[in-house]
Amino acid sequence: MHAILQNLSILAYVAATGLFFAYLVQRKELIHRLASVITGAGWVAQTVALVALGHELGRPPLGSLGEAVSVAVWGIVLLEMWVERRARVKVLGAFVLPVVLVFSLKAAATRQQLPEIAPALSGAWLWVHIGLALVGIAAFALNFAGALMYLLQERQLKAKRPGKLYYRLPDLETLDRLSYRTLVLGFPFLTTGLVLGVLWAGAAWGSVFAFDPLALLSFVAWVIYAGTLAGRVAGWHGRRAAYFAMFGFAALVLTLGAGLFLPGKHG
Amino acid sequence: MALVVAGLSHKNAPVELREQLALEEDKLRELLREVAAGGAAREAVVVSTCNRVEVYAVADVPDEARAAVFRQLCRHRGVDQAAVEAVLYTHVEGDAVRHAFRVTASLDSMMIGEPQILGQVKDAFALAQACETVGPTLHTLFTQAFAVAKKVRTETEIARHAVSVSFAAVELAKKIFGGLAGKAILLVGAGKMSELAAKHLVEQGAFPIYVANRTWARAQELARALAGTPVPFEELDAALAGTDIVITSTAATEPVVTLPRVQQAMQGRRSRPLFFIDIAVPRNVEASVDTLDDVYCYDIDDLHQVVDANIRERLREAQRAEALVDREVAKYLARLGDVEVIPTIVSLRERLEEIRAGEVKKTLARLQGASPETREALEALSAAIVNKILHAPITKLRESSRVGSSRSWLDLVHELFALGRK
Repeated sequence: MHAILQNLSILAYVAATGLFFAYLVQRKELIHRLASVITGAGWVAQTVALVALGHELGRPPLGSLGEAVSVAVWGIVLLEMWVERRARVKVLGAFVLPVVLVFSLKAAATRQQLPEIAPALSGAWLWVHIGLALVGIAAFALNFAGALMYLLQERQLKAKRPGKLYYRLPDLETLDRLSYRTLVLGFPFLTTGLVLGVLWAGAAWGSVFAFDPLALLSFVAWVIYAGTLAGRVAGWHGRRAAYFAMFGFAALVLTLGAGLFLPGKHG
Repeated sequence: MALVVAGLSHKNAPVELREQLALEEDKLRELLREVAAGGAAREAVVVSTCNRVEVYAVADVPDEARAAVFRQLCRHRGVDQAAVEAVLYTHVEGDAVRHAFRVTASLDSMMIGEPQILGQVKDAFALAQACETVGPTLHTLFTQAFAVAKKVRTETEIARHAVSVSFAAVELAKKIFGGLAGKAILLVGAGKMSELAAKHLVEQGAFPIYVANRTWARAQELARALAGTPVPFEELDAALAGTDIVITSTAATEPVVTLPRVQQAMQGRRSRPLFFIDIAVPRNVEASVDTLDDVYCYDIDDLHQVVDANIRERLREAQRAEALVDREVAKYLARLGDVEVIPTIVSLRERLEEIRAGEVKKTLARLQGASPETREALEALSAAIVNKILHAPITKLRESSRVGSSRSWLDLVHELFALGRK
């Protein structure tokens, strides 16, 4: 049952991505409403799928990276729907849903291999570690979208030849605030998640990093975000902050990619 | 009886002719009264602006109504009627409806999306109402035209993007800063155009305003006019560091705002953006300033380019608006058509029901011992036959009303079924 629902939700995200792109070009309210409804429906289907999966497994559906990425997608979509309303950036979906789509397909591709959980992997702290890190990732996906839109709009304004995007994208101030707020939201979660991971790994394996590529890359991502946040506090803003947001998210994506492709303890 | 619109506009008539025909209100009143008294038109509304003069009328013979109105108009203004007739356009029925919708929605304006035309048509309609030349047809038409205009305005962006340089600058500022509330403006030089741009910014909440000018008295004067603060020209650097939007318009031949100056100003701003609107020719802001991060510098050519792009965007939106108007015209005609055929459909049904009920009664009178079941069956049978027969003609009538040819069908049906007066 959960597999069917999971597939249905992916299908909904595919449709929503197309509709959000159409909205970006066409600016028809009906298209936006449809895209929102379909996104919401996909999210509900995914919620049920995750609950069913957790019920079946007898543990949170966070035992493998495939499962974790799927939960990250769930979080990103939830956050997208909320931020879109809060910040009144109606084109946000066109920039977040593609990320959602790539993640979902990645998660679906790894879903087949039923996860064998190592005995070392257990205990509530593990789930807290993964859960917090995922909330951070969801916030940083939005952070990435905000930064991308900022850079696009900034280029339009610098080029002085207004194109379609100039009219469709919101103002720089709104976009900068969006990426700042999502950074502030995501950073504590990522930090706590990583700290717990380090502590837990130390206890379970007796070594903090143990040459796990995922752990190393996630540390790189954390350093980038920590640097951006420090820069923001020192008064950075705009383009520089946006570039760092892009680098940070690239590191996060590599982290997940490494977890899925490279041998390591995260499995 | 037909709906007709006849007139001339900026599209086909030269301004010399349009200005000769434009009428002020009391003349317009007189014209409407004469048209009503003349009997050529049952209803009439005259729209007279500097870009168009047109009459909407309901008349038995459209050409007569048109000739009568323009004869009076030409007489009033002492214009040769032949010259006017040569450029007049005429639309009837469906085309007239479309024309009314397009004009009111500002799709036929010189600058597409300009907001004045809706008010002008509303005034023309109100005036005709006051003169009692508005009947049910024009009332429905204009009420719907106003609704369509509003819909076009909210559902498309034909009226959104600025088509003047000073408003384009305001929109750019909004794209950079979001809201303009509390954004500081610095005017360097005191031209008329920079004053206008500053006023637009102030209307959006920009505050405070600083004015720097080589002539101190002029700086004071303009500062007073804008409720701002005059700044000595020597303190320009300090003023630059503290503002968000700078409008330059001095007559200086060398750039006043140089790259080192702006670099210095950007230090300690914590990357707060700085927006230069340089409307001076030659330019007051060094071109290389634009290479700095968080600095946006638009000269007069750039602003014109933005205006051009805005106009293109409006034209693209106008295509969507045209499609919307097409749909609204079709809806309007369909509703109108239905209204026209419904009385006939009702009397046709009544006529056949009368026949059916009469015949059933006669038959039952002969079948004294008929059981209730038989009676019921007879009623049902006759009703079914009537409905089957009526189905095709009623469908045909409704269809004909949608394609606008209901008149001949209505006559035919009345004739065939002896329905009497329509």
